[in-house]
Amino acid sequence: MIVSTTGLAWIPWAVWSLPVIGGLLAPILAKMGDRIRDWGSVTFALISALLATSMLSWALSGQTVHDQVGWFMGLKAGVLADPLAVLVSNVVAWVSFFIMVYSVGYMHGDPGIVRYWFFMNFFIGNMQLIVLSDNLFQLFFGWEGVGLCSYALIGHWYTDEEDKWVGSPDHYVWGLPQAYSPSHAGMKAFIMTRAGDVAMLAGIFLIFVYARTLTFTDLSSNITWARAMHSSGLLLPAFLLLLGGAIGKSAQFPLHEWLPDAMAGPTSVSALIHAATMVKAGVFLIARLAPIAAALSLLFPELEVFFLTVAAIGGFTAFLAASQALVSVELKKVLAYSTVSQIGYMFLALGASGLWALGGGITGAMFHLLSHAMFKAGLFLVAGFIIHAVESRFMTDMGGLRKHMPQSFLMFLILALSLAGLPPLSGFWSKDLIISVSLGPGGVLGLILMFSGVITALLTAAYSLRMVGLTFLGKPSRNVEHLEEEHVLREAPLTIRVPYWALALGTIAVGLAGPLMENSIAAFTEGYIHFLGVGANILEVSPSWLPLTSSLSAVIIGLLVAYPFYASFSRTTLPFSRGISGALQRFLWNRWFVNALYYKIFVIPWPTIIRLTDKYVEKMVFDNINTVMYLAATGISRMGISFDTRGVDGVVNAVPEGGSSSSNVVRKANTGSARTYIYSIVIGLLSLVVLVTAIYLWVI
Amino acid sequence: MFLLASVFIPIIIALVLFATGTKDKALASWGGTGAALASFALLLASSIFSGILSYGKRISLEEYGWWPLGRAGFVLDGLTLPFALTISLLSLAVSVYSLRYMEHRFEEMGVNSWGLYYGLLLFYYAGMLGAVLSTNIIEFYIFFEVMLIPSYLLIAEYGYGDRQRIALMYFIWTHVGALVMLAGLLYVALSSGSFHYSDLLSLVAGMSPTAQFFAALAITLGFLVKMAAFGLHVWLPYAHAEAPTPVSALLSPAMIGIGGFGIIRYVEELLPRGFSPIAFWLALWATITMIYAGIVALAQDDIKRLLAYSSISQMGYMMMGISSNTAMGIAGSVYLYISHGLSKAILFMIAGILIMQFHGLRSIPAFGGLAKRMPLTATLALLGFLGIMGVPPTVGFISEFLVFLGAYTSALSGGIVGGLVLAGVALIATLLTWAYALTTVKRLFFGRYKEVHGEAHDPGATVLLPMFALAFVSLLLGVYPFLIDRFLEWLGMGL
Repeated sequence: MIVSTTGLAWIPWAVWSLPVIGGLLAPILAKMGDRIRDWGSVTFALISALLATSMLSWALSGQTVHDQVGWFMGLKAGVLADPLAVLVSNVVAWVSFFIMVYSVGYMHGDPGIVRYWFFMNFFIGNMQLIVLSDNLFQLFFGWEGVGLCSYALIGHWYTDEEDKWVGSPDHYVWGLPQAYSPSHAGMKAFIMTRAGDVAMLAGIFLIFVYARTLTFTDLSSNITWARAMHSSGLLLPAFLLLLGGAIGKSAQFPLHEWLPDAMAGPTSVSALIHAATMVKAGVFLIARLAPIAAALSLLFPELEVFFLTVAAIGGFTAFLAASQALVSVELKKVLAYSTVSQIGYMFLALGASGLWALGGGITGAMFHLLSHAMFKAGLFLVAGFIIHAVESRFMTDMGGLRKHMPQSFLMFLILALSLAGLPPLSGFWSKDLIISVSLGPGGVLGLILMFSGVITALLTAAYSLRMVGLTFLGKPSRNVEHLEEEHVLREAPLTIRVPYWALALGTIAVGLAGPLMENSIAAFTEGYIHFLGVGANILEVSPSWLPLTSSLSAVIIGLLVAYPFYASFSRTTLPFSRGISGALQRFLWNRWFVNALYYKIFVIPWPTIIRLTDKYVEKMVFDNINTVMYLAATGISRMGISFDTRGVDGVVNAVPEGGSSSSNVVRKANTGSARTYIYSIVIGLLSLVVLVTAIYLWVI
Repeated sequence: MFLLASVFIPIIIALVLFATGTKDKALASWGGTGAALASFALLLASSIFSGILSYGKRISLEEYGWWPLGRAGFVLDGLTLPFALTISLLSLAVSVYSLRYMEHRFEEMGVNSWGLYYGLLLFYYAGMLGAVLSTNIIEFYIFFEVMLIPSYLLIAEYGYGDRQRIALMYFIWTHVGALVMLAGLLYVALSSGSFHYSDLLSLVAGMSPTAQFFAALAITLGFLVKMAAFGLHVWLPYAHAEAPTPVSALLSPAMIGIGGFGIIRYVEELLPRGFSPIAFWLALWATITMIYAGIVALAQDDIKRLLAYSSISQMGYMMMGISSNTAMGIAGSVYLYISHGLSKAILFMIAGILIMQFHGLRSIPAFGGLAKRMPLTATLALLGFLGIMGVPPTVGFISEFLVFLGAYTSALSGGIVGGLVLAGVALIATLLTWAYALTTVKRLFFGRYKEVHGEAHDPGATVLLPMFALAFVSLLLGVYPFLIDRFLEWLGMGL
């Protein structure tokens, strides 16, 4: 049911525009004092979050608010607050709000604080714009907006001081350094996600040419466009191209390599990118398209390939990234790989949604989006505090921190166990739902997809515990011992601690209410599918014992395997072992060589290509054409002078170059001839007009 | 009278400045800026009073008898409005910006010729404005050449490096291009029996398709020299790099795009049957231009040369939209003229700030970490580059979106596989634009500040204000692109 009460429609507009306005006001707030600047910026995020909460009542009663205004070219700008949008909007708003509160303490004294607040609020606003847009064009505004914010915030410390880099300084793959500066990492994120956006744009163009609209409700209510695209064989390509955008933003294989390096930004930014904004955008986009695509796939079965691709990418990426998290030595990078992996779960669920369980798949993805947002934001916030406290991003410089910061340890442990998927925390329920949905009605495909989820669950449990162990347990590292002597290790201040307390309690609360939560999200999903899906009637999956037992045992095995290695044993460094396990470790440590391969293919050749093009085409061909024209224009006699004074080389090199001085003789000659030339042109011009007039009169 | 005055007030003031030969900075700059402001205000008044700003089918037409060539005058319609307003706004911004910049340049050169400089600038402006607004093809040609001569002199007198030689090459290339274009136009005019544009619109029907094709070919080629399409571009990097920076900020954003205007007005609108056989090849040429100039831009160390190649690449985008021959593609090209104009003017002004601060230093590798010392300059540079990259909410996004939408539309509706491939390749090539834009921002503004150049700081208000004004317009039109609707209404095509 669509509510057309215009009295309420301002709320979704305000939810996305308030943070944008807050961002724009940051420079003005900064003039009014530090406290107003900081808390003022937080207030905009808070009001936006409160307004988002007020939309929950619509979703709970199955209503949808859809409001449009004229924009340009017959396109309309609009907001669509359906259950899906309201759910995601609330997750984004509240997680962002806690991160903003944390930032007040965390970014205190940063010289770029005004820029920081501007882009943080702008980030939130653009993400809300993505979530609440009713059409793909406006969504793309927010889509590129979050890209811009990620670029600016990852590169926040743009002066590139060594301690702000990401990666190990002595780590080389094929001679290529694996440590990157903040400004490099920001650029990498922006360009790599843009590669996906190029595909997405092409998809938007294809759909627009056939549908003449980009509004989701129009696309689902009248599917003539899909018929036409189907008959010209473009329906599946268009959806796959749109998927490209989601893959880029959500850092899925093969566009996943930007996210680990995005850790160069402030930790609060990482938390925002991973938990609330940016990477969730791709998941949201697919969830938006899923009901339409699923309904269409009943008519045009080729669209099953779309869902299969989503599931395959998700399943593979989940495993790929989890395996890399196992060997990472940087605390934030473990979390980054983990995000890529967890987003992979969501893709897996969304893929399954179109294959066999529309409601269950979307519910699983959204539930996991919610629980991941909470535990990942919380983990980042604790990690940010620890990195700040020990003055190092490497876990080898941590260890034994538990006794100094017991509260942070407890919260970190809870959040990490939620990530690991231990019942009854929220991560368990959502992951379990995804794994059972991915099995579907069984069969080889279902088993493969489920297996990828189960093996990832095992790895996730292992790296989560490893991360907790290396950071808080075991023997203190030399760095920590040193800090202990100086008595500088203490518990976090309140503005920093409260946000992650809130998120950890959230993950417990959602976990305790797990099945209930699942049902209410399922109700949201149902309302949403009902609203957008074109009466799709897709088989839902009945619960089975296989997914639950296998995922639970995977978690327990993972925890048990990791425990003796990382939690109870003392350890100092992380040496590479020898033999096959060493080779495997190296393979994972080198990010499966994918990152290095990308640099080899897409970065390293360019300097040569551009240098050769510049030298052999631009300089050798075109500049010489210029020279020939010049010589012809200034006359044979001038050419003689030029030859005499500068020789044959002089002619070849007689390319005017910026700032370089050339022979005075030539210059003098030019000046004179140029003036003459201009006068003759002016006279020529006048005579031309006379001539044309004469011809004209004669013709008539 | 509004339009007539908006073109001739700058010319009259320019003549006064020439005649007095004033060395008085205040007089010349007030006169110059005042004339540009008056002209801009008149244009705005004309577009408001005629109602074009609210409905694109209206026009503002002023015509006078011009014996024996029929009638001539000025017209503001859905097509000329965006061009005229952009030219006027940019010239106004440039004349304010010149106050500080030319002071620096005159000191450096040890001359004082405020009157001559502002006079030439006004003449140049009047040439561009007149060319866009003209209703008679001979009038068009005269204005087209009028914009060439003052810009030639500005480069030759106040430019850098081997400026006379570069100015001459600039003159020869674009003049030859203009003559080829004139040949085409005269052929159309003489075989149809009128020089008047709107008369010709109905009279060209009498021309055979072959004749139309050859005329269209000549006119297109002529304009492509102005646009510096691949192969015809050699003059541009030198001219734009060595011109005094405020002039670069008009040459590149305002002037070369008039070539695109010419193709839309005198080929696509006037000779549609002659244009259609060219369209695909123009799209191919556009793609090559886009990619080639993007690659060569990456090779540049001189900031102004980099911006110059970037302009060539942007003209590739404009050609792409034009070649689509669809309402949206052409609207995209028109919008690209606006977005490129605003963004590239800002960027050239950034280059000018660097030249002023660092005594003529333009080599990108010599800079680094400037953002810390010049935060406002860095912000403006980022906004400018975002416009070139086509990132919302700058107006660059709207234009890029429409250009490619047009390209896809024409390829899909015509079932042209080659066109679809070109559109795809060109879309991927936008990554090149991103690459040179982002690496340049990084090289100039990020990293460690290089102390060797002494103190750097943001420039004063007369420099920053015009730049912020342009950035504001860019964001405004990016969020609310109403001019698109005026253009589409003028074309008589809704969506």
